[in-house]
Amino acid sequence: MDGSRVSRPPPPVQLRGVTYAFGSGALARPVLRDVELAVAPGEIVLLTGPSGSGKTTLLTLIGALRAMQQGSAQVLGQELAGASEAQRVALRRRIGFIFQQHNLLGFLSARQNVAMALELDRTTSEAERLERADAILAQVGLGDRGESRPDQLSGGQRQRVAVARALAGNPGLILADEPTAALDRQSGGEVVRLLRDLARQRGVPILLVTHDPRILDIADRIVAMEDGRIVPASQAEPVRAG
Amino acid sequence: MTLILRREGLLSQTLLPWAPERTGDDAGDEAPPPTRPPVRRGSPLAALWLPLRLAWRQLRWEKARLASAIAGVMFACVLVFMQLGFRAALFDSATALLSAMRADIFLMHPMTLVSFKPETLPRVRASQAMALPEVQAAVPVYLAQATWRNPENGTRRAVQLVGFDTESGVMDFPGLAPLIDTLKRPDTIAFDLRSRPEFGDIGRLLRERGPLPVQVGNRMMEVAGLVEIGPSFGADGNIVMSELNFRRVVKERQVSAVDLVAIRLVPGADRDAAMARLRQLLPDDVMVLSQPQLVAHERNYWETATPIGFIFAFGSLMGLIVGMVIVYQILFSDIASHLREYATLKAMGYSNLYLGRVVLSAALLLAVLGFLPGFAISAVLYDVVGKGTFLPLGMETGRALGVFAMIFTMCALAGLLAMRKLRDANPADMF
Ligand SMILES: Nc1ncnc2c1ncn2[C@@H]1O[C@H](COP(=O)(O)OP(=O)(O)OP(=O)(O)O)[C@@H](O)[C@H]1O
Ligand SMILES: [Mg+2]
Repeated sequence: MDGSRVSRPPPPVQLRGVTYAFGSGALARPVLRDVELAVAPGEIVLLTGPSGSGKTTLLTLIGALRAMQQGSAQVLGQELAGASEAQRVALRRRIGFIFQQHNLLGFLSARQNVAMALELDRTTSEAERLERADAILAQVGLGDRGESRPDQLSGGQRQRVAVARALAGNPGLILADEPTAALDRQSGGEVVRLLRDLARQRGVPILLVTHDPRILDIADRIVAMEDGRIVPASQAEPVRAG
Repeated sequence: MTLILRREGLLSQTLLPWAPERTGDDAGDEAPPPTRPPVRRGSPLAALWLPLRLAWRQLRWEKARLASAIAGVMFACVLVFMQLGFRAALFDSATALLSAMRADIFLMHPMTLVSFKPETLPRVRASQAMALPEVQAAVPVYLAQATWRNPENGTRRAVQLVGFDTESGVMDFPGLAPLIDTLKRPDTIAFDLRSRPEFGDIGRLLRERGPLPVQVGNRMMEVAGLVEIGPSFGADGNIVMSELNFRRVVKERQVSAVDLVAIRLVPGADRDAAMARLRQLLPDDVMVLSQPQLVAHERNYWETATPIGFIFAFGSLMGLIVGMVIVYQILFSDIASHLREYATLKAMGYSNLYLGRVVLSAALLLAVLGFLPGFAISAVLYDVVGKGTFLPLGMETGRALGVFAMIFTMCALAGLLAMRKLRDANPADMF
């Protein structure tokens, strides 16, 4: 065990016994119960399950957007149990987030939005940042829309800018929560396939929550949740078939 | 396995006694970060410049909001400029008479609070001061008020009389020098050109008719020329005359009791040293003052013994508070309506501190953008209002810098208050 740990890097995400409840005392409502989950390097994992089963809560814990309560979560080498606010902020910089809404800054152009993901790294120059933003916008098929503001783009284009922003900082992990929910079938499919292809090129693992049965085929593995627990793989399999 | 774990725990404990919290955690810490090179520290300027640029881009985006914010700061700015301008103008005019008296050193009774109600000091102090070799000359100055009859319409008004040895050259007033010979004649006076218009348009009459007879007190005098002093709180107009002529008008005045002593030093003498020696030489019933100190003493009376200073300070404060509330409102609603964006930035790894700098930068941008037009408008208003009220209103560099500092502080405080709203931007709510 000791030997294998040295030779192989730890998985980007390793959850052990993660339990989480909203509220406190008698009003505490458990939302996650003893969740065990690992994401391997470069792996694309889809997380499905009924509404209210705790998928979003789990994603916010992994993304260091919420403080842990019980259990252990190793994300990109950082233990989140008992991590300080500063440690969590630092970890977030190494994660690419894609939200249900694009959440682009309305007063910035597409390339400025993407460059925002790079401004935290103060070693880059402004020219480098814009160059990288343009390059990645070209990769998501928006090479000519760099100067457009979000309100001049279609929903699918905005979400592609959001994908570009998530990837721009060379993250070690992509977390996405229903990124296709606000899009129609076609552009939703385009966006996730684009995300998959770009992540594959870079070897970045993805953990993606979705209700959308049309995009299940991009996954290496599908994990189902129910009532705050991960459903064992044998029971989860039929989801993929159906 | 149990054995291994226990041994590992033991090892870590013996090897790393200073960092027990790392026990069992080392695998994670030793793992190389997936893609990033180790963090290098960039230019510290970027840490200020980038939030500033973000703030500016956000401000610029909503033109109407930016305009109302700038208008708010500008309003506060103009209000403070006008309050401080009036305050300074009133104090300046309150001390106009003393400011116009030009001499090296003055002696005054320490109990004189304000020049229009002077405590007298013995005339002999002037000759005692002459004992110092640095003192070239010392002359007594007499102050009094008398009624002046307007030669145009006969109305009467109190006028301030200043009598001293005009020939000695110890004390000067602007415009007095060419009149010195004329004022030797009996019953001649020099009239203050800047006296209020109620005294009659003496300047025009003098030009048209030449030397002008006027009634001062119960005596007919002759206006022989003009000096420039300006009305003060104690008197709406001034006339300057020789000591002899003064005694002719104010007959009841004892010659031995003087109101001020003006002193001229020999050229090149050290004024501060001379003042120190005068203090040693003269008894306790005189206060030795330089001209600026004399003015400051008079000004201090108006600042502390009257509510004038308070009224204008209060007005300025109100202006600043109104400005702060406006800026706070704008910044607050800016944050409130962009909570999603701020939460997104937090999710991307922007710290509270960084976003705080964005808000503060926005506040300081508003300070600068509001101050510049506020300054221009105030300068124009000073000119217009100053001409309408006979008040010496003028834009001074010191005041402009002071107002800028106040506006800057006002906006910074508003920014700090608005920053608290950033806490409501919770990145966990973003999914
Ligand atoms: N901030 C919160 N405060 C209290 N309860 C919450 C909060 N956020 C979520 N919950 C509750 O936790 C449970 C899990 O919510 P979560 O958002 O993780 O579900 P989900 O699986 O993402 O659902 P959906 O598929 O509808 O997005 C729900 O019952 C929800 O009501
Ligand atoms: Mg959800």
